[in-house]
Amino acid sequence: MSNRELSATTVKSAAKKALLGLSPAVESLVAAVVGLILGAIIMWISGFDPLAAYAALLKGGFASTYALATAGARAAPLLLTGLTFAICVRAGMFNIGAEGQLYMGALAAVTVAYFVLPPALHVIVGILFGMAAGALWSLIPVLLRVTRGVNEVISTIMFNWISHFLAFYLVARVLVDPLVSSRTIRVPITARFPILIRGTDLSYGIFAAVAFAIVVYILLWHTATGYEVRAAGFNPRAARYGGIKSKRTMVLAFVLGGMGAGLAGATMSMGTPPSYAVLGGLSQIANLGFNGMAVAMVGRNHPIGMLFSALLFGGLAAGARQMQMTAGVPTDMVRIVQGIIVIAMAVPELTRMFRIFRLRWPRILGRRAES
Amino acid sequence: MVQEHVSQREGSSGGLFLGAYGISKTYSDGTQALKRVDLEIRHGEIVGLLGENGAGKTTLTKILSGLLPPTEGRVESPRGSVRFANPREAMKFGIGMVHQHFALVGPFTATENVALSHERPFTPIRLGKTRERLEALMAESGLHVPLDVPIEKLAVGEQQRVEILKVMSRDVDLLILDEPTSVLTPLEVDELFDLLRRLRAQDKSIILITHKLKEVQSITDRIVVLRHGELVGDVRTAEATTERLARLMVGQALDSTADAVELRDEELPIRRGREDAGATGEVVLHVQNLVSRGNTGEIAVDGITFDVHAGEIFGIAGVEGNGQSELVECLTGLRVPTEGEATIKGTDILGKDPREIYRLGVAHIPEDRWEVGLVLPFTLAENAILGIHRRKQFRRAHLPIIQWSNVRKHVEELMERFEIQAAGTNSPAKSLSGGNQQKLIVGRELAKDPAVIVASQPTRGLDVASAKYIRDLLVDMRNRQRAVLLVSADLDEVLARCDRVAIMYEGKFMTVCRPADLDRETVGMLMGGVTSKEVCVEQP
Repeated sequence: MSNRELSATTVKSAAKKALLGLSPAVESLVAAVVGLILGAIIMWISGFDPLAAYAALLKGGFASTYALATAGARAAPLLLTGLTFAICVRAGMFNIGAEGQLYMGALAAVTVAYFVLPPALHVIVGILFGMAAGALWSLIPVLLRVTRGVNEVISTIMFNWISHFLAFYLVARVLVDPLVSSRTIRVPITARFPILIRGTDLSYGIFAAVAFAIVVYILLWHTATGYEVRAAGFNPRAARYGGIKSKRTMVLAFVLGGMGAGLAGATMSMGTPPSYAVLGGLSQIANLGFNGMAVAMVGRNHPIGMLFSALLFGGLAAGARQMQMTAGVPTDMVRIVQGIIVIAMAVPELTRMFRIFRLRWPRILGRRAES
Repeated sequence: MVQEHVSQREGSSGGLFLGAYGISKTYSDGTQALKRVDLEIRHGEIVGLLGENGAGKTTLTKILSGLLPPTEGRVESPRGSVRFANPREAMKFGIGMVHQHFALVGPFTATENVALSHERPFTPIRLGKTRERLEALMAESGLHVPLDVPIEKLAVGEQQRVEILKVMSRDVDLLILDEPTSVLTPLEVDELFDLLRRLRAQDKSIILITHKLKEVQSITDRIVVLRHGELVGDVRTAEATTERLARLMVGQALDSTADAVELRDEELPIRRGREDAGATGEVVLHVQNLVSRGNTGEIAVDGITFDVHAGEIFGIAGVEGNGQSELVECLTGLRVPTEGEATIKGTDILGKDPREIYRLGVAHIPEDRWEVGLVLPFTLAENAILGIHRRKQFRRAHLPIIQWSNVRKHVEELMERFEIQAAGTNSPAKSLSGGNQQKLIVGRELAKDPAVIVASQPTRGLDVASAKYIRDLLVDMRNRQRAVLLVSADLDEVLARCDRVAIMYEGKFMTVCRPADLDRETVGMLMGGVTSKEVCVEQP
């Protein structure tokens, strides 16, 4: 019997190794295939042709310059809001507030329309406005957390609602275009991100996003400050023992994250043709913050991995129209299939995150009866 | 090993409730926690389970309460052989355990907590009925708690009573209490003991795990002593003297475990080394009248004064939980004391940041290597610079960028110098064995070339070879004129390696003296809180 038990445990541990020991790329690929198969089953049950649908998705999302450019344009803000979430996860917190921080960044960037500056400088000022607004908006929840112990999940969700209605008000009343009441005034030509590929939405905003990802990577993995952020994120007690002030690292992570979301907002209002403004109803910026969280999880909360996951999300968004037009799959079905693929790909990172936070939370809630 | 057994059981206690025979437990990492232990529990008796840390007290009671399966042995009752797969089954049989750390939900009331403990999936929680049951129980047992106040608003003693009520609401006949007095005030201890006596009068059986000699003598009918997983004594309380219990608990001499043999072999050369070194150097660490509170607000460190000189190992022995952790935390910047002073080479350190204290030349080997000493998901390289990560040697010239190649070089040196076995500098710290994890911490701290080394339980849970290696490193530091503060629950370690020893009990030093002036019986009594008749005088 002990023999059988032994072999059972070896098999179990071997299986565990095979599943968890995969390289990140292979693991994501397996997850993607699983998601594609599940999505295909759903489409097949509902009477659509999965192969034709996926062919259309591929064609519309990745298979031409236009498709790739569109995917890239969709990817840029998602990469940035994803980084907002990822930085804070690395610091041991859940920042759900990228959505609101992005609204604030987008609106702050629009205000550059009220003054005149030389072309390059005007863009830089717009970027700084957006990043500052995002950082300030995320500063309040994290200060509440470190001074009063307010859970950041709750406060950032509340701040999303505040910024939601604040943005509606600002668009309709304060920053409104006197001539077209359905949007804010337009960002002047001197402050717009130039278009990278003519005839597409892809602007220089993509460079801003990639640059920010690289900065975050270097900061977190190659500086002492980033080392402190990650150490405190994994184990606050060990960090304190190591002379690290975890309140400081938390504030830093939130401010940096807010800058990312604010930058995402700036690239949206300063780099989205044809309007170069924030539209009433926030239609072109709504949900970018929330979708960024999925980008972060699929990209394993790592800036380099997220470059790929953001492009994947951009491609899925860009290919949706093609899927609808050529394969006749209705929009809702497209969203379901996309959701399944995303969930399948986010599962490995989600389990890892929960393992880490489960280790952290008993400490926050007080010790249980074990040992 | 000598076993002292009760010749004949008679008197107040009744028939057999439960018997455990030949119980052995070997954990998956090879530690043998229990070796063929026999234990009989009768109706209406209070049994004290006495022993040092790691003697196997908790393991034995966990087996009785269904939390752990024994490796060998059987549990029998007058109704036949029993086997508990989980605590619920043990509970059904009538055995309940109150753990040292309570399993209560803070914002819930006592009623809600008890109702929650009875909950099963898909059955409604009936608060009203629970309340009636609790009121009846309280009237019957004389144990009173406020039922409608959130648990977190209650004093620790009251919380413990809720925990006891929770277990009793399951109609238990055997109540196991794990170190129940460690969190209580003296008054609360009296109340608890009154309660236990009332329960005994109702023919309940009680097992009381403790290391406090006075308590065990004042309340129990019978005392079972474990040492290194073996049953070394089973005596009637009335016949047991404090001296005899102390001797049973700590052993007459260094005994036959492998670790102890290793220590005995080492003993002589070290003592000789000590004499060669001559008089100790100047005072490096000075602590004066230090008072600090623990996590639950109790006074954990109660007016402690001592000096550690260059070139000596000052040991603090005692059962864990007597304020040693809080004392170490105060000295290393992790806790702010309420009173007193502490200086390193004349510089005040109390209330300062860990980083500032490290800068004064302090190295800290923390007692909890997984929770404090290491960031387990971090790599070896990342862990090797914890606390020194801002040093220039790891930085790229003129840039605030960590030069990981320098860090790796540093780790490779550590691995070689301190014999750390690991797959590579990039393997996560959690993949290392316990011994290697501890060597990594010790290596990191000693490589700082510190003036003071504060080592807290540095060899706990380690294999014999690693433990010996780490002890040798500390002695080596002492021989190189460093000041070493060694806090350990391992009596053999402290007695064999330290130049001076303090025995800590309930936040105070019972005595400070040279190990040679202490016999084990005295140490055992001091550790159990009994002041011996001839307490040795504090030596310079």
